[in-house]
Amino acid sequence: MRRALSGVVDFVVGDDVWTAVVVVLTVAATAAVVQAGFPVWWLLPVVVPVAVLKSVKRAARA
Amino acid sequence: MTGDVLLVLGSALASGVEMVEAATIVLALGMSRGWRAPLLGSGAALGVLAVATVAVGPALEQIPIDALRLVVGTLVLLFGLQWLRKAILREAGVLSKHDEEAAFAHEVARAREAGRARGSLDRYAWTLSFKTVLLEGLEVVFIVLTLGVNQGSIPLAAAGAVIAAVVVGAAAVLVRRPLSRVPENALKFGVGVMLTAFGTFWAVEGAGAEWPGGDAMLLALVAITAWWSLLFVRVVRVRTA
Repeated sequence: MRRALSGVVDFVVGDDVWTAVVVVLTVAATAAVVQAGFPVWWLLPVVVPVAVLKSVKRAARA
Repeated sequence: MTGDVLLVLGSALASGVEMVEAATIVLALGMSRGWRAPLLGSGAALGVLAVATVAVGPALEQIPIDALRLVVGTLVLLFGLQWLRKAILREAGVLSKHDEEAAFAHEVARAREAGRARGSLDRYAWTLSFKTVLLEGLEVVFIVLTLGVNQGSIPLAAAGAVIAAVVVGAAAVLVRRPLSRVPENALKFGVGVMLTAFGTFWAVEGAGAEWPGGDAMLLALVAITAWWSLLFVRVVRVRTA
């Protein structure tokens, strides 16, 4: 069961857990702020490239 | 209409990339050990994938669309970011590019080392072709189902995969060589861009927000994602030069 779960996580997330966590938290924040009545469609398209840039810079340094 | 075109294109490109990788191994097995077992193994894997698609697809369609878009959109975004991140690093020269000629030569050497087949069916070739087609195919099924269900048309997404299967299959049969002329790394870059754009679009919609411009924003997201991805290639290339 644990191996199957680990396989699914690896399939979807890959080897960059940090970016995945940022994306999931941003989606959750978008949902919470929309519930409060603010239009935050722009939040995820702004956060995603920033997270990817940090990720590829980190990989390049490694 | 724009969404439908992008759906078929995204599904075809993503499926095509996976199929090229599977075709390389099946070709290597067929050319070094005979065609019967690799074709039977591939056929069995395709059967399993077809059953999985038929079983899971209708079940996904029963889930409310907003919840589905939130969860599946996020999954597609995470999946797409994996492709995009690796594609940026490959284009920038940080990771080595996938080489179908090298993969083909490696598989032919392994197939020859594996020894001769005993009995009427070559178990080595059957098992390896089954496993390869199943694993690469699972990614195709994931892409077809998630894109299809979210965009409201599994048949259109499946049509994209069928187009890719026909093109890759015909090319493999005609050239009987690894499909090394396929610009695989560029295709992976394009697929990463499209999956990231689709995932962003659906995750935001699923979270309850409305895109200004509606579906037209999907096309804008594809263009914007392609722009910053290419920019990041230059940034990483400069830093590592």
